[in-house]
Amino acid sequence: MAKENARLTKYDPGTFRRRFDAIVWVVFLAFFFIAGKLWFFQIIRGGELKQRSESNRIRFQEIKPLRGLILDREGNILVDNTPSFDVSMIPEMAKNSREVLERLALLENENGDRWNKQLKRNGGRQPFVPVRIERDVSWRDIALIEMNAFQLPGIVVDVVPVRDYRFGETAAHILGYVGEVGSGELEGGMIAQYRPGDLVGKMGIERIVDRELRGESGGEQIEVNVSGRKIRVLGVKPPQPGNTVVLTLSSDLQGISWRAFKEKAGSVVVMDPRDGSVLAMVSKPSYDPNLFNRGISGEEWRNLLEDPLCPLQNRAVLGLYPPGSLFKLIVATAGLEEKVVSPDKKVFCSGFHTVGDRTFRCWSRYGHGSVDLHRAIVESCDSYFYELGAQLGVDTIARYAFLFGLGRKSGIGLPGEQEGLVPSREWKLRKMKEPWQIGETVALAIGQGFVLTTPLQLLRAYCAVANGGILFRPRIVDRIQSPDGGSFRVIPPEIDGYLPVEPAHLKYLKEALRGTVHEDRGTGRVLKELETIGVRVCGKTGTAQVIKLPQEEYRDAEQIPYKHRDHALFVCFAPYQEPEIAVMVVVEHGGGGGAVAAPIARQILMEYFMGKKNRMLPAGGGTLPFAGTGGAG
Amino acid sequence: MKIDRRLLIHFDWVLLILVIFISLGGILNLYSTGHNLAAAGSKPLFMKQLYWLGVGLCLMGVAAAVDYRFMVRHAYWVYAGIVLLLVMVLFFGNVANGSQRWLSVGGFSVQPSEFAKIGLILVLTRYITENQIGEAYEIRNLLVPFGLVLIPVLLIARQPDLGTALFLVILSSSIVFFIGVKRKALLIFSGAGVTFMPLFWFFLKDYQKDRVLTFFNPERDPLGAGYHIIQSVIAIGSGGFSGKGFLKGTQSQLKFLPEQQTDFVFSVFAEEWGFAGVIVLLALFLFLVLWGVRIARNSRDLSGTLIAFGVTAMFFWGCFINLCMVIGVLPVVGIPLPFFSYGGSSMVAMMIGIGLLINVSMRRFILQP
Repeated sequence: MAKENARLTKYDPGTFRRRFDAIVWVVFLAFFFIAGKLWFFQIIRGGELKQRSESNRIRFQEIKPLRGLILDREGNILVDNTPSFDVSMIPEMAKNSREVLERLALLENENGDRWNKQLKRNGGRQPFVPVRIERDVSWRDIALIEMNAFQLPGIVVDVVPVRDYRFGETAAHILGYVGEVGSGELEGGMIAQYRPGDLVGKMGIERIVDRELRGESGGEQIEVNVSGRKIRVLGVKPPQPGNTVVLTLSSDLQGISWRAFKEKAGSVVVMDPRDGSVLAMVSKPSYDPNLFNRGISGEEWRNLLEDPLCPLQNRAVLGLYPPGSLFKLIVATAGLEEKVVSPDKKVFCSGFHTVGDRTFRCWSRYGHGSVDLHRAIVESCDSYFYELGAQLGVDTIARYAFLFGLGRKSGIGLPGEQEGLVPSREWKLRKMKEPWQIGETVALAIGQGFVLTTPLQLLRAYCAVANGGILFRPRIVDRIQSPDGGSFRVIPPEIDGYLPVEPAHLKYLKEALRGTVHEDRGTGRVLKELETIGVRVCGKTGTAQVIKLPQEEYRDAEQIPYKHRDHALFVCFAPYQEPEIAVMVVVEHGGGGGAVAAPIARQILMEYFMGKKNRMLPAGGGTLPFAGTGGAG
Repeated sequence: MKIDRRLLIHFDWVLLILVIFISLGGILNLYSTGHNLAAAGSKPLFMKQLYWLGVGLCLMGVAAAVDYRFMVRHAYWVYAGIVLLLVMVLFFGNVANGSQRWLSVGGFSVQPSEFAKIGLILVLTRYITENQIGEAYEIRNLLVPFGLVLIPVLLIARQPDLGTALFLVILSSSIVFFIGVKRKALLIFSGAGVTFMPLFWFFLKDYQKDRVLTFFNPERDPLGAGYHIIQSVIAIGSGGFSGKGFLKGTQSQLKFLPEQQTDFVFSVFAEEWGFAGVIVLLALFLFLVLWGVRIARNSRDLSGTLIAFGVTAMFFWGCFINLCMVIGVLPVVGIPLPFFSYGGSSMVAMMIGIGLLINVSMRRFILQP
């Protein structure tokens, strides 16, 4: 104890006084430093760091709007939305995404490499945002995935609406289809409001009224945890569904036209001549637009593109055909208006006709004998029009053709619409650096040679005759409705111009067109059958040469190679007194217009007028053959 | 042995209440971190910590009751026992997160390296009180303490637990420098330190190198090693002045903040309580450290001064290093925040330290100068 005390006595607490003072200073300084740092982070940078913590936890998830419906004029649904299953992957949730995809591929008998590529392509995205690897997966495969979910970490199934084209290939061209917006479309300034992955109308109606159909995206503010999992929804802005687009199209007539057209390739357009409304538009061959829902495969797409018959093309507005004898109406009008010809003037047709030093054949090798303008139209006598055309001259014909709406876009607005071609002296000199030949005028007078038209142009021109001279802009969208149907906006008919034709002449021409169907030796007499249901029809046949063939040879059409065969054309409108429907038929390489195209138009008119009669009956006939929703029938 | 009545009179109630207050704050904070953890079946961490606080308070009582001079007299035995435990860790220790730090004792995991702090304080006190030369130490006086420190430091570095090893070096150096070291010895030590630093680098594991590199440039690997620091700073800063509120810290509740129950427990507190709460907590820690300095100052003998100083230094460096770590001033070296970070051994060791402070404090009047 003494030893210990001795040690204690040596201790003087004062020894360390200065040291303790220094230590207190150091401690204060250290805590001051920490406090200063915390001040800096929490007060000075507080706002900024608060935002960073918010962006850590809050994610904005887009809610895609439901695309608008497309209805026909009677309110039948043409295009609807239907749920489909997409399979996506969140690579962050799988330890080895490649392995998971291999397992998935095994399950679905698919090739996982494609999905791997998909994942890689989406490398630069935000973490935990799913990458879609497969669209429109079958119910069976979804069941398999759900059953094996525990073996497939990171694989998620989404239910998404896809377009349901109820009429499939029968109305493919006019309605179009949707697809993911392309990179080219993203760059173009016009549709800058699209984001990658958005669906956009690629063709047809889907494209031209995309703005109305697409609606407005909504969004969801969600709180996520560190693994990106949704914790709760903080706020929702509901998406605004797209507007309903009501077309002038009649699903009834569309179906009738599709079924009536049994040929390989060609087009049918049906129009209401009173306001230019398109009632049906068929183009053949066609494709199934529902294919595009699941992102068409490369092979299917290639097949469509490389098909020599171009099934993707809407022939009604893109197909260019020589109008053949359908052009005679324009030449006749020019002749009457320019007083080059009077209705009584007669020309003798002996089967061929000589202009200058060249001889041109009439389609009838036996000749039509002495014909006036009426007979010339009824029997479609070429000789008469050779003579008339030569007198008018190319430029006058071209001027009238233009007034009838040829050589320029009809303005329907469908993508890719062609202008066609109406030749003139000036055009030939400019394009071919050659002067116009008289022989070319003669060919032009029967719609051959350089002149090219689309079926829609020709139909529009004839509708103008039918309605007393008004050239309407073809109308396809009737009105735009709000999604709930509460309000709507009608797209009124638009008048593009008036035919500069005296009413008497118009009446005369209409009479001649009636004669084509209802008089003896009329080229369109196969439609005479409509008399049985009390309908009188005006029409005109046309046979457009694709290639100049020596007419003595190959009399048998079957022997001519397909691509060299003539196009069969026919246009008509009815009823004769007050036309309400006009039909244009083109059968590519079909042969004679009266023999091949006219029967198609006949069937369409027959079914149309029969159906109309049935509908007028008080009960029982109300069910539309193509109505989407089944009812008592 | 009859208990001296004066011991009870001079019991340091202020210190005890202060520490219980801080610990309960820490447990509340742990409750918040575990709030959204849907770990059904296992006991929540804050309950475990509460339990460890109880154990710690008991051992604190023991550490306060036994005269510290008795402890100093048997310091070498304590030291030897702890070294033995550290050796056992290397052979029988449990591995977690790539290092072997824990010993299983009757169903509990004990981390001997935490107790090595107390052991070193005692053994250095013993050596210094026995080897007073009346002036600052020269290099030859420091060889023995150097050896005493080196043994546990190497054993702990081998686990590997570099943070704790470095902590022991800093703690021991604080004690030695407090006594006084000749300038020459100081130069030699720091010279040696600088020389061996690059060599040291080669002993680091890749993940440790990563941490050091990331410390110098956190954005180097924002989703990897730098993630900790960035998320911690976001958590702290987003608390702003008044905080997001108890249980409402998004960084912590949504688990953006890693290691939020151990190393980064302070970031959780800062996010939920804001600058206002943080300043209160800092003030409490500051008060604790200054109180410890006061006890060291008022001790009537050198061993009391050294023990109190050592324990206070342990608290101070624990707070300072941990806080510097979570605000990105120091690399992430895994030093827990005293009384706040989850960990039974740390909690108990800290409470034993408090017991030692109370021990020195209440005996200052019964020792006759």
